[in-house]
Amino acid sequence: MDAFRKIDIDQYDEDVLPDSELFPTDPRDPSTLLTEAKQKAAAIRNNLSKGDVAGALDIVLSDPPYGPGVDEAKNLTLQTLVTILNTTKSTDIPPILKSLSQDSQDTLMKYLYKGMALPGWGDVSGSVLLGWHEKLTEVAGTGCIVRAMTDRRLV
Amino acid sequence: MSNVLRPYLAAVRSTLTAALTLEDFSSQIVERHNKPEVEVGGSKEVLLNPLTISRNENERVLIEPSINSIRLSIKIKQADEIERILCHKFTRFMMQRAESFIVLRRKPVKGYDISFLITNHHTDSMLKHKIVDFIIQFMEEVDKEISEMKLSLNARARVVAESYLSAFNS
Repeated sequence: MDAFRKIDIDQYDEDVLPDSELFPTDPRDPSTLLTEAKQKAAAIRNNLSKGDVAGALDIVLSDPPYGPGVDEAKNLTLQTLVTILNTTKSTDIPPILKSLSQDSQDTLMKYLYKGMALPGWGDVSGSVLLGWHEKLTEVAGTGCIVRAMTDRRLV
Repeated sequence: MSNVLRPYLAAVRSTLTAALTLEDFSSQIVERHNKPEVEVGGSKEVLLNPLTISRNENERVLIEPSINSIRLSIKIKQADEIERILCHKFTRFMMQRAESFIVLRRKPVKGYDISFLITNHHTDSMLKHKIVDFIIQFMEEVDKEISEMKLSLNARARVVAESYLSAFNS
């Protein structure tokens, strides 16, 4: 077929909506995000050895990497989060969740869905994520799920 | 409801409840048309992030919300060849009668076994919590149904084999 038939003419339309306008871009560049994620992982290991799960969660959920092109930092953050989730006893979960701010709760919800959507799994256990999901919904309500659904800043 | 299945179904229930906030929305591309945006996929701003809820690799639910419709796809547990065949036959039987189920989609989304398409017309004419209950009940029943069918199939195969082989016994 002639090449001109394959041109996407909609991209030249004046009210076309590019992906970059759906959410504010992250001002930090990928390499700084990666070093930040590594620093956070180290700090969290420190917190976990002291048994401070709430503090560890607070660190990992603050300013998470988002947007395209930062997959390494995203994966590292998810791994760190999963280790925290796996080491927490199920009776400790509700008080920890209540101590989190609303933004952190929303970010946690996004990570829970991301963990469940992963095809390969690895060390992610479905029952752990589902347990956290249930308790987070009890604490933060359906609104938290709606915010995870509508926020374009994918973690 | 069994205790292992409960957190999974609870997660589906809360996610579905959150996603079922639909409103009437006319097509932005064709005048005087009104289509389910999740199926058309024409404009990015009316589609929301798809969410996956999974128990393990073989049992998962994909919920794709949009402004006026949501699509819910279920991957049913299939442990062996017999369950795969039974599941295929069962879902095919239902999808051929999709009109009677109203919210059922005629074809499943790729990678899943059965899909539901719920539009704002459905939420207008039916109660939202009843739709959620229906989906959850379906998910509960389908596992039970397939394992029951598998048991009766095995029992029948045993009887057939016995009566066939008894001819050689005399």
